[in-house]
Amino acid sequence: MDELIYTLKQQIIEALNLEDMTPEDIDENASLFGEGLGLDSIDALELIVLMEKNYGIKLKDPNQGKEIFKSVAVMADYIQKNRTK
Amino acid sequence: MTRHEVYITPNEVRIDGKVLNHNENGAAMLTELYRAHVGDYPKFFKMDTLSKLGFVASELLLQAEGAERFVPREDRAVVFFNRSASLQADTAYQATIQDPENFFPSPAAFVYTLPNIVTGEIAIRNKYYGETSFIVLPENDSQIMARELQNAFLDPMTTSVLGGWLDCTDENHFEAKLYLIYKS
Amino acid sequence: MGGKRMIVRAAHNIISPLGMTTAENYAAVKEGRSMLKRYEGLWRLPEPFTASLMDREKVEEAFAPLANGAKYTFFEKMIILSASRAIAEAKIDAASDRVLFILSTTKGNVFLLDKNETGFPKERVLLGYAAKQMTDFFHNPNTAIVVSNACISGVCAQIQAMRELESGRFDYVVTVGADVQSAFIVSGFQSFKALSVDPCRPFDANRTGLNLGDAAATIIYTRKDKVTENDWVACRGAIRNDANHISGPSRTGEGSYRALKVALGEVSPDKIAFINTHGTATLYNDEMESFAIERAGLSKVPVNGLKGYYGHTMGAAGIMETILSMQAIDDHNILATRGYETMGVTHPLVLSNQNQPTEKRAFIKLLSGFGGCNAALLFAKGGEA
Repeated sequence: MDELIYTLKQQIIEALNLEDMTPEDIDENASLFGEGLGLDSIDALELIVLMEKNYGIKLKDPNQGKEIFKSVAVMADYIQKNRTK
Repeated sequence: MTRHEVYITPNEVRIDGKVLNHNENGAAMLTELYRAHVGDYPKFFKMDTLSKLGFVASELLLQAEGAERFVPREDRAVVFFNRSASLQADTAYQATIQDPENFFPSPAAFVYTLPNIVTGEIAIRNKYYGETSFIVLPENDSQIMARELQNAFLDPMTTSVLGGWLDCTDENHFEAKLYLIYKS
Repeated sequence: MGGKRMIVRAAHNIISPLGMTTAENYAAVKEGRSMLKRYEGLWRLPEPFTASLMDREKVEEAFAPLANGAKYTFFEKMIILSASRAIAEAKIDAASDRVLFILSTTKGNVFLLDKNETGFPKERVLLGYAAKQMTDFFHNPNTAIVVSNACISGVCAQIQAMRELESGRFDYVVTVGADVQSAFIVSGFQSFKALSVDPCRPFDANRTGLNLGDAAATIIYTRKDKVTENDWVACRGAIRNDANHISGPSRTGEGSYRALKVALGEVSPDKIAFINTHGTATLYNDEMESFAIERAGLSKVPVNGLKGYYGHTMGAAGIMETILSMQAIDDHNILATRGYETMGVTHPLVLSNQNQPTEKRAFIKLLSGFGGCNAALLFAKGGEA
C-alpha cells in the first residue's frame, strides 16, 4: 500500500504539473481539493484520466470523483480494490 | 499613444527597449523569468507555452507601468494577435488521441486548445473584467494590428489596452511584442 | 443617436444539417425539427456521442457549381458556400477593397493535425490560411480577420464588423462563422465530461450537458444613413471577462452580466422581445446565465436557446443564432427552447418549449465561453430599440 501511495503521488505531481513538489510534500491524508493542494475542476478531470490510464478504472460520472479524490490515501484504497491493470 | 512595450523571443527579453538578462532560453527562460520576477502564482506551471509567454510578458509590462496591481477594473481590454492560434496546445492534445491503443484525451491539454485562454489567464490574474479578444492573421501585420487596437477603444468603457503580437509554435519558437496603450 | 450612421444587415445565409438557406433553417426550427443523432464508432471514437452533423455529400453537391479547380477542405467549402450565397443576395462586388471578410471559428481545419490526414498542406491548419482560401476564392484583396474567442467568437466577429464599418474604412463586412466537428473536438469535450449522450435540454432540471454540431452562417453588414422600418440594425455590443476561471463560468455571471448591461444601455427591458441565450445545457452555463440575466434586471424578459435544434456549433453559433432570432422577430415569433421542460436554474427565467407570439422588435444575443469570456449584442429592427 505504501508503495502504491508513493507511486500515486508521483503520478499526480506529473499529471497535474505540480512543479516544485515532491511526493514527500504531499500528506496522503490531506484534502486534495479546496484547502490541501488547492486543485481545481480541470485537475479533477485529469485525475479521472490518470485512473483510467494507469489503473484501468473508468469513472463515468465525474461526481464519483468527489468521494474518491478526497485524499491520496482514499484514492489509493479505491485503486487497490478496483484496479484492472 | 504607446506607453510601455515588452519584447520576448526564445533568447531575448527587452522592456521598453532595455535588455533584461537571463541564463536560459526557450520555455525554460519563461520559467526563469517567472521565478525571478513573479514567483507567487503556481497556476503558471499548468499553462501551455502560449499562456506562459503571455503571462510573463504581461507581468513584465505591468511591472513597468508601475500602477497599483490587482484592483478589479472593467476599463482595460486585453487584445492579442498571432499566426499560429493555439497550435502548440493543439499538437499536444492531438498526441493524447493519435494512437487508438493509447487513447487518453487530456482535459488539461484540451482546455488550452483555444488561443483566447491566455487572455482569460491574464484577466484572472489581474481581475480585468473588460474586453478580452484574440485575432488570428496569416502573418504579423502591424497595420492591421494598429487598426484593430484602435478599434478596441470603440468599446464605451475601454480606456487602455494591453495588446499586441503573441505567437508560439512550440517550446523553442515564440515571439511576444506587447504594448500598453492608453486612450488619447 | 441623431445623425449617426447605423450598422445594418445587408444579407445572410445559414448552412446546417437543417437546410442550406436561412429560410429552410428557420422553417425547420419553427416546426421543432432537429438533426441531433447518436453516433457510435464515428471517427473511431471509443465512446458514442450525439451531434448534429452535415451530410457531406450534400455539401459537395451544393459546392460543385462553385468549383474553380482549387482543392478545398470540408470546412473551407462550408465557409465559401455560405459566404457566396450571402454575397449573391447582397449583390456586392466581393473583390472590392471596400469589402472586408471576418471569419469566426475556433478550430477551423484542426483535423489536419491527425497524422493520417495527408490530403492538404499542413499550413492549412492555421486559421489565417484557411480564411485566405475564402478571400482568394472571392478575389478579395484584404486580409481576412479571424476572430477566435472560443464559443463567443460569432458575437465578437459581429462587434468587430460594426467597428470596422464605424471607422469608415469599409463599405461591407462579410461576417462568416463556422466550425465542423472532428475526433479532436468531440474527444476533448468528452474528456471534459461536458457532452450529453442524449439530445441536450437547455435550462431543464434534468440537463446533463451539451451536444456538438456542424454549421456555417454569414451576415453581411453595411452602414446606412437612413434605415427603413424593416432594416435589421446591430445597435450595441460588449465583450467582458469573468476574471474567474479558464473553463468554468463565474458562479455569479460576472462577465455575462457586465456585457448585458453595456449592450442594453438605456433601453427599457420592455422593448426587448427576448434574450437568445448561449443555453448549452451544461449545469454551470445555464445556471450562470440565469444569474447574469437576473442581475441585469432582465428576468421578466422571455429567453430562449437554440442548442436543442443544432447542438453547439461553436464558431457558427453566434452568427447563426442571431440570424434565426432576426427571422423569428420578422415572423412575430419567439422560438421555442427545444428540450426544455422543467425550470432547472435557481434564478427563474421566462422560458417555453412552444413558440410564443411577440410584437416587439428588439432582442439580445448572449454567449459565454472558455477563457471566461462573455459577449452580448443588442439588435433592433428599424433602428434603436
